[in-house]
Amino acid sequence: MSTIQALGEPIVRAHITRAVTDVLKVMLKSRVEAVAPGGPWGEVPPEVTAQLAAPHVVGSVGFVGDINGLVYLCLPTPFARMATCRLLGLSDSELTDAGEAPVTDAVGELTNMTVGSFKNALCDAGFPCMLTIPSIITGCQISVESVGATERCLYAFECSGHQLVAAVLMRTND
Amino acid sequence: MPNKILTVDDSKTVRAIVRKTLKAFDCEILEAGDGVEGLAVAAKNMPDMILLDVTMPLMDGVEMLAKLKSSPQLKSIPVMMLTAEGGKDNILKIAKMGIRDYIVKPFKEEVLIEKVSRIIELKPSSEGAAKVRLLTDAASILVVDDKPAIVQQIRNGLKHTPWVIHDVNTQNAAVEFLAKGACDLIIISLSLPEEAAFTLFRTIRSNAKTKYTPIFGLLVKTDTAPMQHAQTVGYTILVTKPIDMAELESKVAKALNLDVSSRYFSSEGDVLVLHVPESCSPVALSEIGSYLKPKLAAAVDCGNNHAIIDVCAVKTLDMGVIKLLLAAMQTCRDLGVQYVIVGNPQIIAESKAFEETSSWVFLDSMEAAKAKFAAPLGV
Repeated sequence: MSTIQALGEPIVRAHITRAVTDVLKVMLKSRVEAVAPGGPWGEVPPEVTAQLAAPHVVGSVGFVGDINGLVYLCLPTPFARMATCRLLGLSDSELTDAGEAPVTDAVGELTNMTVGSFKNALCDAGFPCMLTIPSIITGCQISVESVGATERCLYAFECSGHQLVAAVLMRTND
Repeated sequence: MPNKILTVDDSKTVRAIVRKTLKAFDCEILEAGDGVEGLAVAAKNMPDMILLDVTMPLMDGVEMLAKLKSSPQLKSIPVMMLTAEGGKDNILKIAKMGIRDYIVKPFKEEVLIEKVSRIIELKPSSEGAAKVRLLTDAASILVVDDKPAIVQQIRNGLKHTPWVIHDVNTQNAAVEFLAKGACDLIIISLSLPEEAAFTLFRTIRSNAKTKYTPIFGLLVKTDTAPMQHAQTVGYTILVTKPIDMAELESKVAKALNLDVSSRYFSSEGDVLVLHVPESCSPVALSEIGSYLKPKLAAAVDCGNNHAIIDVCAVKTLDMGVIKLLLAAMQTCRDLGVQYVIVGNPQIIAESKAFEETSSWVFLDSMEAAKAKFAAPLGV
């Protein structure tokens, strides 16, 4: 089974950056800038990590095949609401009336598209795999850690004045 | 009958995006959240096309597609796959199953419209097309002309209207402008270099969003070759230079389906009043003529059968005005509407000189006209 080391972190960073950028640019018509990494191996600056303490909506989708892993897309709640309004053509008050379900669904779909793009890049690079079903977490003090044989990379992005974080976890060799 | 499009996707967001994207078109959007529901909805409604997601719970898109293709009733419905799985192997696999097209998420709305319109005809929503717009309604007009003087002439000539005039001077700028948002009407100079006017026309018509937007061609009267070419390709209307702004305004109003009757008709109590304007141009006469029967019939329908034909503003009784008045009076008679004519001394004097008008009886004020309705009358 391939590993993140075999793939190379720069490749992972390039693919996830393109995936996030393309999805948000196409679906939300928003510009996305990658925040400079905080360290050599997929880390984010401390000030970005600190912002994960605020309320977030987090979508996660996995990929299984020749390479296995999971991507978490951590969106600050105000950004998640703004994205939902833009996708569905709703005003903020209309979204409030509609409840949490549209936000959950919209974040799930954005994550699905992002990880889909990321996974397609892995397939084209010779690592065929398939997507799993999305899941959503909402809350504060978000922390994504790896355990055991899994490596974790964090990537931060700035979009419409908000900071988003994509956490990529991949399984290493035993 | 609007086209029916079935969108099968477990994501309410995607279904909502599809619905929002196709809202401007005359189509009914049906929805299903998985393959099982999708098959049931398809069997019941026989949609004209199906937008089908691949990854869904209960029954995924591949399985639903297989079942569609094995059903004699449903197999001919064109299917477009909507998928986040854009890998070459996956695309090849689903293409072999007989889909008409596929679209990879994320997708631009314009791409979805373009691909759907290749499978079924997307017409603008009948609600929008049938609605008659008023003279006071705003409209957006794009002028594509590389001659600033012409653009300025159009701006000046239409500045009294609520229409917003945008201008660009090249084909590429026009395409860029239209990509950002549609216009209600486009005016293109046929003298743009390198046949750009015709390339632009084809580009505009090939986009589902602008396929039915009225397009006017601007040209010099003696440019017969471009005139014929424009008529062949299907320009809505050709406007010749020097531009008659009143005529242009009238043509724009007609193309935008504007109701201009308020310029000429008013209701005063239970009386319909036709105000013939001072400048009785052929355009104005034509406009009034087109509203005669509908306005009078509408008045009768509301229980009002009195009309005043007001020619006080008219300076001279020419054949155009005479024909209009004859038509107005005939229409009144046909509909059983009692009418009187109110005129000024000049018109009254001139009417004696024509055989068709010598017997006309004019009143000299609106008050006298209203009072006249108490007794049986006619001309």
